[in-house]
Amino acid sequence: MSRNLKTALVLASIALTTFAGIVAKYWILNGS
Amino acid sequence: MSAVVDSHGHAGEQHDHHGGYSGIMRWITTTNHKDIGTLYLWFSFIMFMVGGVMALVIRTELYSPGLQWVDPDFFNQMTTMHGLIMVFGAIMPAFVGFANWQIPMMIGAADMAFARLNNWSFWLLPFAASLLVISFFVPGGAPGVGWTLYAPLTVQMGIGMDLTIFAVHILGMSSILGSINIITTIINLRAPGMGLMRMPLFVWTWLITAYLLLATMPVLAGAVTMTLTDRHFGTSFFNAAGGGDPVLYQHIFWFFGHPEVYIIALPAFGVISQVIPAFSRKPLFGYASMVYATAAIAILSFIVWAHHMYTVGMPVTGQLFFMYATTLIAIPTGVKVFNWAATMWKGSLSFETPMLFAVGFLFLFTLGGFTGLVLSLAAVDIQLHDTYYVVAHFHYVMAIGALFAGFAGVYFWLPKWTGRRYDETLGKWHFWLSAIFVNVAFFVQHFAGLAGMPRRIPDYPLMFETWNKISSIGAWGFGLSQLLFLYVVLKAIRSGEKAPQKPWEGADSVEWTHLPTPVPYHTFETPPVLK
Repeated sequence: MSRNLKTALVLASIALTTFAGIVAKYWILNGS
Repeated sequence: MSAVVDSHGHAGEQHDHHGGYSGIMRWITTTNHKDIGTLYLWFSFIMFMVGGVMALVIRTELYSPGLQWVDPDFFNQMTTMHGLIMVFGAIMPAFVGFANWQIPMMIGAADMAFARLNNWSFWLLPFAASLLVISFFVPGGAPGVGWTLYAPLTVQMGIGMDLTIFAVHILGMSSILGSINIITTIINLRAPGMGLMRMPLFVWTWLITAYLLLATMPVLAGAVTMTLTDRHFGTSFFNAAGGGDPVLYQHIFWFFGHPEVYIIALPAFGVISQVIPAFSRKPLFGYASMVYATAAIAILSFIVWAHHMYTVGMPVTGQLFFMYATTLIAIPTGVKVFNWAATMWKGSLSFETPMLFAVGFLFLFTLGGFTGLVLSLAAVDIQLHDTYYVVAHFHYVMAIGALFAGFAGVYFWLPKWTGRRYDETLGKWHFWLSAIFVNVAFFVQHFAGLAGMPRRIPDYPLMFETWNKISSIGAWGFGLSQLLFLYVVLKAIRSGEKAPQKPWEGADSVEWTHLPTPVPYHTFETPPVLK
């Protein structure tokens, strides 16, 4: 796996986690 | 710095080689960072015109009290779409265009790290813009909820709201992919000798901006996704009738929205940090402090969001926290303004068009910053919330600040991009017309706001008439002045005098010192060695 791809995957996972985290916080955890 | 290792003779021979396609297919399939930068810049200019026409509809209606030209629903759609198109369609893509053109050239890279992804990032934008425009023609029309898309109004709007939500999703995806590309390029593709603390300030500001985008665009995506599920899938995130909380939307939106202000402002700071040293013929004063100030602004931007919502009824301790955090931002911003002024101090100054726009930026952005300080004070903001004072403030920061920096950048780099000089006299006319009319348009809005005129209304009491008439005249003058900008750019491209490799005596970054003018289609075939 190239260095560029590794960097991109780390960055993309940050974005995805943030998106999923925001929705999950108020949906599954009901904001608590 | 050493001479470039790349053979320009060879590159020059390939100058007309634009890949496998020609005509429109060249632009659709291109993976070249310069082509994609050009696409971003033209797209943003077209959107600037579309959003500008909407602004003129708003200002024409507000020229006189009473309802003159458009009905209130359409007026609300205009204010909403003007904001969305200017922020997401005009300003942000303009600076991404600068990033695409400049970052590889400034760090000695061959291209962006992910060239095909770069193509996709751009071509997502016309689809998103089309969705926004199509929303005018569906039942119920475009959403008239304001660019912030506040719930619960958004839960009640027609199908135009769904189109807008999808447009925001697509715009967000484009921004995230673009920021991944920019960060990877800067981190991994710098030429030998281009250490992080040797990078031009423009590159630094974009590195930090890209991290801001990566952290905040998913938050906006989350907010509009929750709006979508509230509308169609039975959830009640923001619907009080179902146990939800409309204020929650405001918290999530502004957690994105305030960093968004700096997503627009930081690349503008980067452009100004390239232009002022070049026309002062001096190195940038306090380079390291500029880098740290940029990072400090970005970090602080995450802890100030609720200053947009002092009036929702938050506890006094909350107001105090957000008030102090907001005023703190004045410190790193002050460092920047001080350093730009110190760069000019005892410099060998000349005032070609890019420098005029940079100095104009310095004065007008600082003015917008000061009214921001006024609004950061909760006691004052509660009086001025949702008045034209706020409209004046954010137009000074975002419209004038970002736009003047954008114009400075276009005039500064146009000779490098096109290989031709622009008409300096017409450029200066463009500056003075813009500077005069933009102040006529927006300065008086402070007075209307202080007198209590609310924003987002198509009608108003007679007492506000004078300020509105002046503002509308200024807006029309400013709008028409931008046709001159288009003429200057087209004239330079078609018949401008040939530009030398380094048309600006004081410019010293890699694109001026290591690349011919115009830049070959393939920028660096082997990385330059920078000493």
